[in-house]
Amino acid sequence: MQVHDMENARRTQTLLTARRAGLLGCRRCGAVHAAGTAGCRRCGSALASRDATSLQRVWAWWLAGLLAYIPANIYPMLLTSTFGNTLENTIIGGAIELFQHGSYFVAGVVIFASVMIPIGKFIAIGYLALTIDHPGTARGLERQHLYEVVEFIGRWSMIDVFVVAILAALVQLDFVATINPGIAAVCFALSVAFTMISAQSFDPKSLWDAYEADDT
Amino acid sequence: MTDPTPADLDIAPPRRAFWRNLSFVWVVPVLALMVSLGLAWQTYADRGVLIEITFNSAQGVTPKETTLRYRDVSIGQVEDVTFSPDLSKVVVQARVDKNVAPFLDQEATFWIVSPQVSARGITGLSTVLSGVYIEGAWDQEVGVPATRFVGSDGPPLVQPGRPGKRITLLAEDGRLLSEGAPVYFHGVRIGRLEQPRLVVSSDAVVVDAFIEAPHDRRLNTATRFWDTSGFDVSFSSAGLSVEFESISALVAGGVKFDSVYEGGTPVKPGHVFTVYADEAEARRSLFAGTNEAAVEVGAAFGESVTGLEPGATVRLNGLNVGEVVAIQANIEETEFGPELRPLARLSILPESLGLPRGADRDDVLDFLEAAVAKGLRARLATTSLFSSALVVELVELPDADPATFQRDSEPLPLVPSVTSDLPDFTATAQGVLERINELPIEDLIEQATAVMASAEALLRRDSTVALPDNVSALLTDTRALINAPSTQALPGELRDTIAELRAVVTDLRQGGATERLISTLEQADRIAANLATASDGVPELIEELRAVAEKANALQAEELVTAARQLLESADAVVDSDATRALPASLNAALDEVRGALADLREGGAVENANATMASARDAADAVARASKSLPELSARLDRLIAQSEGLLATYGARSSFNDETLSALREIRDAARAVSQLARSIERNPNSLLIGR
Repeated sequence: MQVHDMENARRTQTLLTARRAGLLGCRRCGAVHAAGTAGCRRCGSALASRDATSLQRVWAWWLAGLLAYIPANIYPMLLTSTFGNTLENTIIGGAIELFQHGSYFVAGVVIFASVMIPIGKFIAIGYLALTIDHPGTARGLERQHLYEVVEFIGRWSMIDVFVVAILAALVQLDFVATINPGIAAVCFALSVAFTMISAQSFDPKSLWDAYEADDT
Repeated sequence: MTDPTPADLDIAPPRRAFWRNLSFVWVVPVLALMVSLGLAWQTYADRGVLIEITFNSAQGVTPKETTLRYRDVSIGQVEDVTFSPDLSKVVVQARVDKNVAPFLDQEATFWIVSPQVSARGITGLSTVLSGVYIEGAWDQEVGVPATRFVGSDGPPLVQPGRPGKRITLLAEDGRLLSEGAPVYFHGVRIGRLEQPRLVVSSDAVVVDAFIEAPHDRRLNTATRFWDTSGFDVSFSSAGLSVEFESISALVAGGVKFDSVYEGGTPVKPGHVFTVYADEAEARRSLFAGTNEAAVEVGAAFGESVTGLEPGATVRLNGLNVGEVVAIQANIEETEFGPELRPLARLSILPESLGLPRGADRDDVLDFLEAAVAKGLRARLATTSLFSSALVVELVELPDADPATFQRDSEPLPLVPSVTSDLPDFTATAQGVLERINELPIEDLIEQATAVMASAEALLRRDSTVALPDNVSALLTDTRALINAPSTQALPGELRDTIAELRAVVTDLRQGGATERLISTLEQADRIAANLATASDGVPELIEELRAVAEKANALQAEELVTAARQLLESADAVVDSDATRALPASLNAALDEVRGALADLREGGAVENANATMASARDAADAVARASKSLPELSARLDRLIAQSEGLLATYGARSSFNDETLSALREIRDAARAVSQLARSIERNPNSLLIGR
């Protein structure tokens, strides 16, 4: 751990960032300006070294995602009608049922994709956003990795929604068996989308600012 | 000197308002929150009302799956299935849609729909695959909402709230009254029966029935129900008929109702009706003591009332107007002393007499009094040709014995009665059938054939052939006898005798006997005239009697046939006997003897003997003449006798009761004869009817 610490410190000290160089890059066209320039002289967009609203947007989408995630778990995901008998399954209920039927693998996948990943994402994004100013014991690289994982995994969180969409499209056998998406499917999709936006709103540069602040 | 450098301007960046720092992105979570809260609130607000339904058994009910339905539309879902604290019942908790819940008052019923196969069909087939569901039924009015219900075992008879009338039926036998059995009116199903149940306090079976509107208006106090379960086989003069309402009624039973008289008052829901075994009984029951409007009158009969039973109908011109309530003995004071006469208590219903509703006892008695004055009489009548049961018939006999309606008689007002001739039609008809059946027609024909054969054999005999010759010889001899002189003398003797007789007659005339005889004859004539006036109807009656006799003769066919057969048998025996065969010979011998006798006569002074005989006759005439002396005395005695007879006959005068009795008796005979003749005619027209009954 000591070694890592040392490496980190050494690297940051030796690194020259744009901000430290008094430069400012336009986020739109990439033109470099002197720090303090209000607008891009090439494309006219507003210039800022750090996106001041980034954290706000992260939190806003994060909250929206979290709010959407609650009904996604309360309301039924799948409406299965077999022989006039309608079954409603929530995500957890479905997973438990699968588990009871002995489909441990599928139950595990569902639990992993629909419960653990979204919740993990919430925790990860929340942790990153909270600790952006106070890195505490966390290493910058680790946080960078965490962020990358969150962003990468976001697109795979839609497995549930895909399954529901496919099943609902395929299983339309009228009286014998019919599967319809429940309201939770929409909520879940929204939740995933919101968390993805939340993760993307995160400005990875600010992850490192805390360490730089130590130097200056 | 250094240029003073301007002091660094402490330029504070413009202070941006807090809200300007806020990203518009915050709208998203706010929206999400609002949507979530909205959803939550809506879910909460839409959450159904939890109700509890108690069942004996919750066959197939699964929490979270079994739906609650109303008119086959899902209105809720079973949340939980538990037991009552003592484990005696199953408590099903279900959530019902909020907008339906207010209708669930205590009238609501719930039952579990499962596949059922019954006589009325197969129901709940769809639940075979989908599983059971709980069906509810309630009326369309918002009542005091209830949350605890007792589930029933099956669907209610009718949807609650359906217009109609619920009544209670009381039956002796619940075997054929199954739940859901139809109620018919004139063959149309207008109601259903509920589950029959036994009453704790009595042996009767009670079943509720629901009569749908608007037919429930047909229910009134005049309504009677009867059982139409199974099929009804009746054998009557109308023939054999098998009746049943429908296959459903055949299997599941059913009841039928009708108004047995006009003008019943409407009944309230819950009215209790009795279910009778059949229509006849239902109609008979009309007066079964429950009708307080019925008026009791009595009718004393001067004949046996065997066959008349309490419950027998009272008919007026063929209409049922009442029934016999009781039959009792009544001591009646007559001129011959107290006499025991059967008295029938008749319960007459004012409505059925056509009197307006609300007519009281006095109205009925007034009506009867007027009717009796016009000739209304009570008499016994048979109900049908094949039944010995009697009914009381009120008939108008305008020429009946005058009688009055004894309004103030004790114990009951008395309707005068007439006796009726009640032929034992049953026995007669059966007898006719049996006799016809037993006619030994084949035997008869055999006998006749045998007779013919014997006769033919007899005629072919030689001695028979020889007979004519002997006869002609006999005739010759006879002629000779007549031609004999002494025979010729006979007329002279006769003439003398007649002269003697004439003398006797002259004596008689002198003795005044003739006058007496004439007066006697005149009296007889008067009597005859009396009799003639007394019995104007006699020729007609005699006609009828003759008709009766003819019919009776017709009925005597069997005896005739028997007699004929006997005759033929004896004829056969006679013809067949040796004596008969020897007859021609004997005849010949006899003729020979006659001839001999005639010869003797001629020779032996037979004629002289005849003369002597004539003399004796003369003596006899003398004796008659002597005897005729006593004739006046005899005549007087005859006279007295005739006078007595006349007096006696006078009592049988024109309007005497004897005459009336006779007339009515004869009328009855006429009626009876007519009935028999009708029977005979119909049998004649269609002999098959005896066998097949129509």
